[in-house]
Amino acid sequence: MTPDRFTPPGNLDEMSEESLAAWDDQIRGFFDAEADDFPNFYNPAGTSEPQEMHRVTWPAAPGRLLSTRMSAEQRWAIADGDRKEQDEYCEWSVLRDADGKITRVTFTTEVPDYFDVLLGSDQDLLLELYGQMSGEVIPIDALRKHEGNVFVRDSEFNNRTDGPIVHLTQLSNNLRAAIILAAQATTLREVDGALLTHPQTLVLCGSLGDERRHSDPQIGAALNGLVARGLDVSLADPAGLYLDRIVTTGFETPDGTDAQEFWRVERGDAGHAVRAIFEVPPEFSYSVGDIKIGGRPIDFGAQLADRVQVRIDALSRTSSTPPPEPQPCVPS
Amino acid sequence: MALQEISDVSCRAFEEIQGPGADALVRFIVGEDTAPRPMTPEEMSQELGDPFATLVLATGNFPVTADEVLLAIDRATPEGDSLRFEQSFVVGEDSQLGIQSGEIDSTNRSIRFLVARGSAPHGPELVISASHPGGGLVELMAWDVTHGGFNYYRTLGGAGGWVWAGNSRHALTPPTKGKGPFESHPSGNLIMKELKLPWVHWHSFEAQISDEVFEAGDARREHRWFTGRDGADICEEGVVKPSIRRWTHVRLESILAGTQPLGRPRLIEHIAMSPTINLASSGTESAAAKLGANVDLPPSFFVDIEGLQAVGLPPPPPFSIPSDIYLASLETFGFRLTDGDFTQRGDTHFAFVVPERAFEDNEVLRQAIERGILSRRFVAAILMVDFPNPVFSSRRAQLVSHVQDVSEIGSRDISEDVAASIVAASEQSPSDSPERDFAQRWALGDDAWEGAFAGELSDYYAAIQSQLVSQDGFNEIVRLAESRRNAVREMPIGNEFRLLFPETNLESENLVMKTDASVAEASV
Repeated sequence: MTPDRFTPPGNLDEMSEESLAAWDDQIRGFFDAEADDFPNFYNPAGTSEPQEMHRVTWPAAPGRLLSTRMSAEQRWAIADGDRKEQDEYCEWSVLRDADGKITRVTFTTEVPDYFDVLLGSDQDLLLELYGQMSGEVIPIDALRKHEGNVFVRDSEFNNRTDGPIVHLTQLSNNLRAAIILAAQATTLREVDGALLTHPQTLVLCGSLGDERRHSDPQIGAALNGLVARGLDVSLADPAGLYLDRIVTTGFETPDGTDAQEFWRVERGDAGHAVRAIFEVPPEFSYSVGDIKIGGRPIDFGAQLADRVQVRIDALSRTSSTPPPEPQPCVPS
Repeated sequence: MALQEISDVSCRAFEEIQGPGADALVRFIVGEDTAPRPMTPEEMSQELGDPFATLVLATGNFPVTADEVLLAIDRATPEGDSLRFEQSFVVGEDSQLGIQSGEIDSTNRSIRFLVARGSAPHGPELVISASHPGGGLVELMAWDVTHGGFNYYRTLGGAGGWVWAGNSRHALTPPTKGKGPFESHPSGNLIMKELKLPWVHWHSFEAQISDEVFEAGDARREHRWFTGRDGADICEEGVVKPSIRRWTHVRLESILAGTQPLGRPRLIEHIAMSPTINLASSGTESAAAKLGANVDLPPSFFVDIEGLQAVGLPPPPPFSIPSDIYLASLETFGFRLTDGDFTQRGDTHFAFVVPERAFEDNEVLRQAIERGILSRRFVAAILMVDFPNPVFSSRRAQLVSHVQDVSEIGSRDISEDVAASIVAASEQSPSDSPERDFAQRWALGDDAWEGAFAGELSDYYAAIQSQLVSQDGFNEIVRLAESRRNAVREMPIGNEFRLLFPETNLESENLVMKTDASVAEASV
C-alpha cells in the first residue's frame, strides 16, 4: 500500500510539518491533474490494491549528444560546459585544483519542485540547504522573482558547472515534467494498424519529448508497455529521480583501490540517493584526475556521467478496464 | 586415458566428444590434442588457476546446468565475496522485432543470457553464456590468476561432464590459433559483437527485450537473470571492455617481460587486418524513419574512427541521411528479416547494421602505443593505407606479409624495423601497391605526417557528405554495406544467427570504398 501522504524525494527528513503538507499538496495536485486526463494513470496515494514496482534506469550522460556521434572528448566537453546540456534528470559540476586536475564531481537529481515548495513554506530551511550545498550565504531575493512568488531555479548560486551545485536547473529536469511524461506515455499509439512499442517511435508518435534523450524514450516505453499489458501505471512514493549507482568496473586507480569507494551519497536514504559526490578522500595521495577509465585519465565529469545510472520507480496495478484503443500519432 | 580421436578442428569438434562421464573434466585443446583426455586432480591443479576450476571442479563437483555452476560458486565462497556479485544480460537476434511468444515457433528463437560473476575493477572473474539457466549447453570463461588469460570451458552433451578447451594464450599461436573456440575468439577475448550504443539485438535502455519473448509459464521469464537483467551499456563498460583490456594488458606485459615471443606479424595483424569485427549501427530505430526521423550512420563504417583518434587524427563529422532516402533504399533493395518461415519486410530494429573495426584490435593498438612498442606515426601510416575501408582491406592486409617474425624480445619501439621491411618490399612493387602507399606515407617524416593525413581525411569526409545527399549516392553506400555484411557472414561469428543482419535482393559483390567516396569492385 502506498502511504496516504507523499514523502519527500529520497525520504529526506528535514521538512517541517508545514512543508511536508505543502509537498504532499503539490505532488497530489500533479498526479490528480494527470489522472483526470489519462484514465490509465493513477494517483498512488493511499492505494491499497496490489502494486508492482518497476525500476526504469538510464545513463546520466546526455543521449542527444551521444546521438550526434561526435568524438568522446567533444561530447564530454560540451556536457561539462553547460548545465542546459545535462538533460537526463541528472546534473553535475566539476571541481578542479590549481593545475586543472579534477578533484571532485558532484551529481544531483534533486528536483527544483522540492525547493520551490520550501520557498513557500520554509524559507529558513531553503536558505540553510542552499548555504550547505553552495557554501555561500544566499539572500532570499536571489531565489525568487515576480514579487517573491516564483522560485528561481537557475540563480547564480546554482548554475555553475565548475563549483557548488544545489539541485537540477535544466528546463526539462523537474518532477512535474516526469509525471506528465509518465501520464502521457499511457496512450497507446499505432501506425498503419501496428501497435508501437519501441522507445523512439513512441516518443516521435506521441510527442513525448526528444527521441534522442535517454530518459524520455525509456520512461515512455516502459510505462506504455505496462498499459499495453492491461495495467494502470503511476510513479512510486517517494516520487523523484534517483542516482541508482555508478559502475566503476574498468576504473584504474593508481594504488588499485576500488573506485567504488570514492562514490559517496550525500543526500537521500539507501536506495534513494539524490546527491552524490565522486572524490578521493584526503588520506590518498592522488585525486580524481589521476584515475583512468578505459585507459584515459578522468579529465571531464561527463566521463563519470557515462557510468552513472539515473532511475525512476514506476508502479503498476491491474486495470479495471481493458487496454485503451491505440491512437494515431500526434500531428507534428 | 585418451578418448576417441577427433579430426574436426572447428568449434564443432566438442560435439563429437563421447564418454568421459558426468563426473569428469577432459582436456581437449584443438590443434594441440588429438583426442580428449580426462584430467587428473594434479593436472587441474597445475594447469588451471581460475575460480571455476579451483572452487568447483577440483573439489569433485561437476555441475550440469548454469544454475548449478553458480550455486556451486556460492557454496564455495563466503558471504560478501566478489564472486557472489552477479550481473546478467540478455541478447537475441529476433528479440527486438516485436514478435510475441506465440508467434515464434517458425523462427530460430535465439535468446541467450550472459552472466558475469565478480566485481573487481578489471572486470569479472567468470562469465557464463547459456540459453537456459536450468539446462542445455553451458559455455564458461574464467580468469586464470595463475597463468593469466581466460580458461574456456563448456559442458558436454550426452552423459555430461566438462571440457577445458584452452586458455586465451592458445588463441595467439599455432597449432591452436584459429581452432576450436578460437575460431570465434581469435585473440582469446570475451565476445560481445554489438559493443557500442545502441547495441542492436541486446536488452538495453535503448531497446528493451520484453517479458513476452518467453511464453507464460516459461521458467526463464521469472528467473533472476531475466527479471534482474542489466542493460548492454553495463555489459559493454562493466564486463566486456574491462575483460578485453585485462587480457591485452597481460599479453603485452608478457611480451615486454620477455616471457612470450614478440610475434610481430600477429601484432601488426591487429592494426592492418580484421581478425574479428564488432557490429555498429545507426542510433535511429528503423521504424522511427517512417515517422520522419533522419537516420544517422555509424562513422566507423566510413573510417576507423577509434584507431585514427588513438593516433591523434581528426574524427569525421556526423553523417546522416533523410528518412525518405533511407526508406526508398529499403524498398529498392528488398530489405527483409528472414529466418525459417518467418519473414518481415524492412531493416533490423536499429537501422544500418554494419561491421566495424573490433574494439579488441584497437585496444592492442592503443596499448602498444601507450607502452612504446609502436609509434603513433607508424600506426597512422598503416591505418591510412586504404583508409576508406576500415575493415576487410586486402591492401592493408598485404603489408603484414612483409613483417618479419623475429624472435628478438625487448621493450623498445619496433616501428622503425617493421617500417623498413615494408619500405624495402615497396621498391620491387608496382606503383599503385599498398607497399608504396605505405612507403610514401612513412617518408613524410615526423613533422609532416599529421597535417598531410588530416588533409586527406578532411577531403574524404567532404566527399562522403556529398555522396549522402542523393538517392543514388546512398544506394551505393548500401551496396557497400551489404558487401561487408556478406564478409561477416563468412566468419564464424557471423553465420550462427540468420537474423543478425537484414537480407536484400543484392547480388553478392566484393566492393570497396574509394577516397572520393565512390564505391567500386575490389580489384583482384
